[in-house]
Amino acid sequence: MSFIEVKEVSKTFKVNKRSAGIPGMIANMFVPKFENKKAVDGISFDIESGEMVGFIGPNGAGKSTTIKMLSGILCPDSGSISVNSYVPYRQRKEYVAGIGVVFGQKSQLQWDLPVIDSFELLKAIYRIPEEMYKKNLKRYTDMLDMGGFINQPVRQLSLGQRMRSDIVASLLHSPKIVFFDEPTIGVDVIGKETIRSFIRELNEKDKITMIFTTHDMQDIEQTCKRILIIDKGSLLYDGSLQEIRNKYGTTRQLIAEFNEDTEVTPIENVMIGDPKDRKRSFTFDNSVVDVNALMHEILGKYSIRDITVTEPEIETIIRKIYNKEVFA
Amino acid sequence: MRSDALKLSAVYTKMIFRSWFQYRVDAILRSLAVFMREATSIIVIYFTLLKFDSLNGWNIYEMLFLFSLVYVTYGIMIIFFTGLRDFGKTVRTGGFDRYILRPRGLLFQLIFANADWFAAVGHGCLGILLFVLSAAKIGVVWTPARVIYYIFSIAGGVLIQGAIFLFLAALNIYLFETNALKEVFYWNGRKFAGYPISIFHKAIQFCMTFVVPFAFVNYFPSQFLLRKDDMAMYPEIFMYITPLVGIVMYLLAYLFWRVSIKYYKSSGN
Repeated sequence: MSFIEVKEVSKTFKVNKRSAGIPGMIANMFVPKFENKKAVDGISFDIESGEMVGFIGPNGAGKSTTIKMLSGILCPDSGSISVNSYVPYRQRKEYVAGIGVVFGQKSQLQWDLPVIDSFELLKAIYRIPEEMYKKNLKRYTDMLDMGGFINQPVRQLSLGQRMRSDIVASLLHSPKIVFFDEPTIGVDVIGKETIRSFIRELNEKDKITMIFTTHDMQDIEQTCKRILIIDKGSLLYDGSLQEIRNKYGTTRQLIAEFNEDTEVTPIENVMIGDPKDRKRSFTFDNSVVDVNALMHEILGKYSIRDITVTEPEIETIIRKIYNKEVFA
Repeated sequence: MRSDALKLSAVYTKMIFRSWFQYRVDAILRSLAVFMREATSIIVIYFTLLKFDSLNGWNIYEMLFLFSLVYVTYGIMIIFFTGLRDFGKTVRTGGFDRYILRPRGLLFQLIFANADWFAAVGHGCLGILLFVLSAAKIGVVWTPARVIYYIFSIAGGVLIQGAIFLFLAALNIYLFETNALKEVFYWNGRKFAGYPISIFHKAIQFCMTFVVPFAFVNYFPSQFLLRKDDMAMYPEIFMYITPLVGIVMYLLAYLFWRVSIKYYKSSGN
C-alpha cells in the first residue's frame, strides 16, 4: 500500500448561478438557481513516502480542492483517500498531528506578536516535547537564517521573512508530510532560492513527503522530480519532468544572426520565421531534423554572425498540454 | 488530557493579552469605550424612567437590576463565545480551515483563540456597577441560598446566549452570512430584555420566553429574588429553570453544530 493513495476521487460544488441585471438579482433572491460545478473529476494517483510532487494547473483547475481533500478540510463526494493509513477527513485530529500545511497566501502566524510567540503557541497546540521543539527550532531557524527577525512582530516582516517563518511554523512538530500551497508567491528571487534549497534539503535528508502547488515553474523545476498536471478537475499528466521534456519538448528553435540582409531558401521540415534585425528563427522538431545537418547547411550557405539553439521552456510545454495541443 | 487543555487555553489567553498590549493605550481605551457606550444608553433610560414611578410594578432600581444581569452575563459570555459571534468572518477569511488543520477540538480553538477580554471588562464592570447600585435598594436579603441561586442563574444566562451564538455560527455554514439574523434575534432580543417582559405585547413575550429566551437570562431569575405581581402571568417553575434552559439549549446547539461541521466538510465554502 502506498503512502498516499487517491482513488477515483470526485468533488462537486454547488455554485449559485446568478442571472444578469437587477431583475435577475431579485429573481435570484427568491428562487436561487444552483449549478453543479465539478471541481475534481475522478482523479487517481499514488505517492510514495519521501517523494516530492508538484501539482500544477491553471487557476480553478482543482488543485486547491485536491489539496484540501488530502489535508482533511474537505471530504470527497466519491472515491477514497488514504494518507499514511489514515482517512484524512474522518480521523481529523490524529491525522493532522502528522502533517504540515503552508498556505502562501494566508499566514498562520499571530500578526501582532513576535514570530517566536507564534512558535510557542504551536508548541502547545501540537504538544511538541520540549527537546524536539528546541532542536527543530534551532535547526530550521539556522537553515533559513532567521536569527535576525525571530523576535520581531510579524506585521513588521517582509514577505520573504514572513514566508520563511510560516514554513518553519508548519515544520516544528516534525510532520511526515508537508503541503505547500504556493510557498514562494510574492517572494523576491533570492528569497525564493533560499526557500527552494531549504525544501530540497529537508526532502533529501529527512525524507519528508512534500506536495506542492505553484504557478512558478521554476519552483517545480528546482524541487520536484514528479509532477501532476491537473486541468478542469482531471489529471492530464502524471510523471517526471524529464519525461515531459523528452516526450513533448522535442521542438528546438535555432536563431541565426546574419551579417547582411539575406533571402533564405526554404528547408524541408523547418519553419523559417520572418527576418527581424537581420535575425531569423528556424523552428524544427529534433526527432525529425538533425541539428548538426541543419547548422551545417545554414553556416555553409550564408554569412552568419551568431547562432544559438534553444530548448523550449517547460512553461511552453505545459501550456501546450493545457491547450490540448499535445496529449499527455 | 484535561490539564493539557487547560495549559493550551492559558497559552492562548497569554497570547491574546500580549497582542493587545502591543497597543496598550488602544486596549485600555477599548474597554473604556465599551463601558461608556453602554453606560450612556443606560443613563438615557434612567432619566426617561425617572418620569414614571414604576413600570408594571417595577421601580427604577429593580429595572437597573434587570440590566445588570444582561451586562454581567454578556461580559462573561464574550470571554467564551466571541469566536462564535464572529464565526462568519473566520470562515470567510479561511481562518476556520486553519483550525481544522490543527489537532485540537474546533470549538475549543474557536473559544480560546478569540476571547475578547477587553470588551468583557467593559461590559462586566458596567454590570457590576449596576448590580452594586441596585442590589442594596431592591430589598433582597442575600442569604447563601440566594447567592448560589444567583450564581447558577448567571451561568445559565451565559449558556443561553452562548447557545444562540453557537446556533447562529452553525447556521452560518449553510447561509454564509447570518449578521442580519443576529441583529434581529440576538440584539433586538437583548434590547427588550432590559425591561420587564410583562409590559410587552403577547407575541414579544412569547418570543422572549420560547424563541430567543432572554427572559430566562434576567427576567425570571429576578422574579425569584423580587417576587413582583406580574409573575402571576407565567408558570411559577420558570423562576427556577434558567440553568436547565441554558444546558438544554447549549446541548441542542452543539448537536446542530456537529451536524453542520460534517456539512462544511462535504460542501466547502
